[in-house]
Order: sequence, then C-alpha cells, then structure tokens
Amino acid sequence: MNTPDNLKYTAEHEWVDFNSETSITFGITDFAQSALGDVVFASLPKVGDKLSAGQTCGEVESTKSVSDIYAPVSGTVAEINDALTNNPELINSDPYGKGWMVKLADVAGTNDLIDAKQYQDLTAQ
Amino acid sequence: MTDSAELIHSTLHEIHVGLGAKFAAFGGWDMPLEYAGSGVVAEHLNTRSNLGIFDVSHLGTAIIKGPNAARSLNDILTNDINRINPGQAQYSMILNEEGKVVDDLIIYLKSSDEVLIIPNAGNATEVLAIIRKNLPTEIEVINLHQEIAIIAIQGPKSLALIKDLNLDSDLDYLSFKDSNFDGYPITICRTGYTGEFGFEVLVGKENVKDFWHKLFAQGEKYGIKPVGLGARDTLRTEMGYPLHGQDISLNISPLEAGLGFAVITAKPKFIGKAAIEAEKKFGVKRKLFGIKAIERAIPRSHMKVFDENDTEIGEITSGTFSPTLKQGIALALLDIKTQISDKVFVDVRGKKIAFEVTKPPFVESKVR
Repeated sequence: MNTPDNLKYTAEHEWVDFNSETSITFGITDFAQSALGDVVFASLPKVGDKLSAGQTCGEVESTKSVSDIYAPVSGTVAEINDALTNNPELINSDPYGKGWMVKLADVAGTNDLIDAKQYQDLTAQ
Repeated sequence: MTDSAELIHSTLHEIHVGLGAKFAAFGGWDMPLEYAGSGVVAEHLNTRSNLGIFDVSHLGTAIIKGPNAARSLNDILTNDINRINPGQAQYSMILNEEGKVVDDLIIYLKSSDEVLIIPNAGNATEVLAIIRKNLPTEIEVINLHQEIAIIAIQGPKSLALIKDLNLDSDLDYLSFKDSNFDGYPITICRTGYTGEFGFEVLVGKENVKDFWHKLFAQGEKYGIKPVGLGARDTLRTEMGYPLHGQDISLNISPLEAGLGFAVITAKPKFIGKAAIEAEKKFGVKRKLFGIKAIERAIPRSHMKVFDENDTEIGEITSGTFSPTLKQGIALALLDIKTQISDKVFVDVRGKKIAFEVTKPPFVESKVR
C-alpha cells in the first residue's frame, strides 16, 4: 500500500497535500481506492462552497459500494478535479496524482491530521 | 457466516491468492471477488470482448442415480425433464409448498437413470435434503459438492480455446458431453451465467489445478483473464438473469420473477404446484422488470421505486453499474400495472433519480 511521506492523512482515508499554509489539495488514499474497488462515479462539492472539517462534501461510488467524501480540514472550495466526471477510474489508477479531488483555500482546522506513519498504523489494524 | 475460518476454500484457493485476488464470502465459500491489476470493470469487459475464466467451484454438484431417477426427479422440480434428451441441460427450480423458490438449478440429463444437478452454493444442502426426502429409497443422491470443481470459460474467444485444447466444441447451447482431457475425465457443458458464448467444465478437484494452468497457458493469445464474483454479478445482471436470494427467494414466486417458462403446470406433479396454479388463476400483483438509470446513479438492492406521482410501486432486487452501458441498471419487483418505457424514480440515498423501465436483457445475449 502506497502512503507517501510528504502528505498528511485523515482517519477517513483521505490525503492532504499542503500547497501553502492556507491552501491544500485532497483526495482518497491508495488504501481507500483499493478497498472500494473500481470507482465509477465521483460527485464533488462546488467551487465556492465553504466546508468545515469533517463535513460530508461528496461521494465516491464503486461497482461494490458508495462512500462519503469528507472535508479533511475547513476551507473554501477553490477548484475541483473535473476530469473525474468522465474518468473516475483515475482515483484507482493514480489516487495521489491525477485522481486528486478538491483544492481548498482559506484553510483552517488542520489539528486532527495525522502523518504517514500514523496512517499506516491505522490501516494495519 | 462471517468467520473466515469456517468458510470452505476452493481447490484453486492458493492460485487465486497468487493472482492477488480479494476474497468474499459467498454461500459458505471464500471465493475470489476480483483479481489484482484488473478489477470488476476490466474483468467484465474482457469477458464480453475476449475470454474470462471463472472458478465457480462453490456451486453445488450432485448426482441423482437409480431406476428412472429422471422421472422421479421430475415430480419434484418445476420444469419438465421430458422436454430434453440425454446430453441436454435445463434450467429448473425447486419450490416449497407455498410456491416460493427454494433454489434455481441447472439439471444435466445423463440418462433416464442418472441426472447431474448444479444448485447454488448456499442452498445445495437444503436442495439435496428435499430431493432425498421426496425420492424413492432405491434412488441415490450423491453429493459431490467438495469433490468436483467447476470452471466457467466464457466469452467470444472461448470456442477457439476449447478447439485448441481438443475438447468437444461441437455442442449446442444447453447441451453437454462427458469427455477426457489429458487422461482425466471432465464434463463439458455449453452453459454459463454471463450471456456470452461459453462453456462450463466439471473436473475432479485432484485435476483442476492442471486444467486451470493449461487453460491459461493456451489462452494467453486470446487475452484470457481470471474473473471474480464481482464481474460475475455485473455480467449476469446485464442479462437479467435472476440470482437466488435477491431476485427469486422464499418471498418471491417464479411467476413474479418472469420465470413461468420453467414452471410447467401441465405436468402431473411438482412441489408447490397447487400454490402456482392458484397464483396463475388470481394473477400476480408484482413482476420483475428491468430499469435503466437516465441520470448518473447506481441502484442497489432494496432501494424503493416510485411512479411519477411519487407513489411507491416496488423495490430493487439487484442493482449495479453496467460496465458495458456505463450506467446504472437494476432488476426491480414492481406493481404489475407498470409498463415498459415508463419513467420511474428510485430513492438513491434520499434523492429521487429517474429511471426508464425496460425488458431485460440490458445487453444483447450471445449465448447461441
């Protein structure tokens, strides 16, 4: 299972990449995409939506099941990955790259994020 | 059955582990759900365009044998064995006295004195118990569930592979032949659960690893891939084939499920006949339809279905994403007044999503 050291994680199996102190990119982890199986739909929040950490802001649905997407931190949706509309399988093939989901600006509430080691421990349980 | 220690393993289990399979409990067996580097969608599409190999050893296998075994079995099952000849297979059901479905199964008529039956994994024990109870004592019921492995070879390239292996390929749909492969006995059947041209091969568990390896060695040039239960389910749903426990069950009658073709009330006897005759007389109130998503959504079992006036008209029995059509499809038990091409709405986690009523299959059948 791939868990890059340079990223932060949440217990809800999302990764967070700090682009600056106040802006992040997030998506779901390799562990999450593998557990879900083939992702066939992804619904994402709208640009401009104000999200608070932990809030449900979308869904990923695979052939097997559906999972909510949560805002990993508080912030305003600055950009969403439109490519996922027609190519949701990018979440499976490149979860930390082309399968990114949302960019948030004006970020706050980052205290609950965990590092790669903590996330690996969590998924090893 | 959540304790994986209690689940039965296929003889090919280690091979599946080696192929990076994820496993799922199904009918008391621990079977591959999907394989590494592939997944449900890729396995599904490869079966439709090339060749998919399925370990379906979880399916039950039993021989009913003795004087006029076929005639006695015909007094139990819903379809009429007299409509087929030795060497032919038939879709049939075993009902309870209330006319509900204990299981559906394929029967293979070997002779008037010998019938092979293939019930579903989780129902095999009960099916055999009912058959045993209703047969004269001189007829044997031999349970081979854990002795015989079943490998399904499905897809447009299956015929070429079978020919390459010098197996009997000259079989009509729903016929079978006892044969030999490299010195061991096999039974080759022109059956399947995918809607593709294909075969199912019964092979003793002591030989199934050899058979599996030879299939894959020879099938490489045809794009052969192993397929798990995930794609088996999406393939059968695209064809509208019922799955026991979902589309037919102890709560759903064969007439409601549109399986009247396999329930022959003209024959003298089968378990549940009186109930089916009553149901025919009074008519069914609900029927299994296909529904296809107009918007982007995946229907799932037990989601409620509503008409255009927001009146509840039934529920989904099987639903999935169709890898071929790239849209949500489902089988749904709906009010009998529902018409093909009606617009209906499915409650998908609180949102009403528009669907169109259709008649399955959702994808053209290529079995013949």
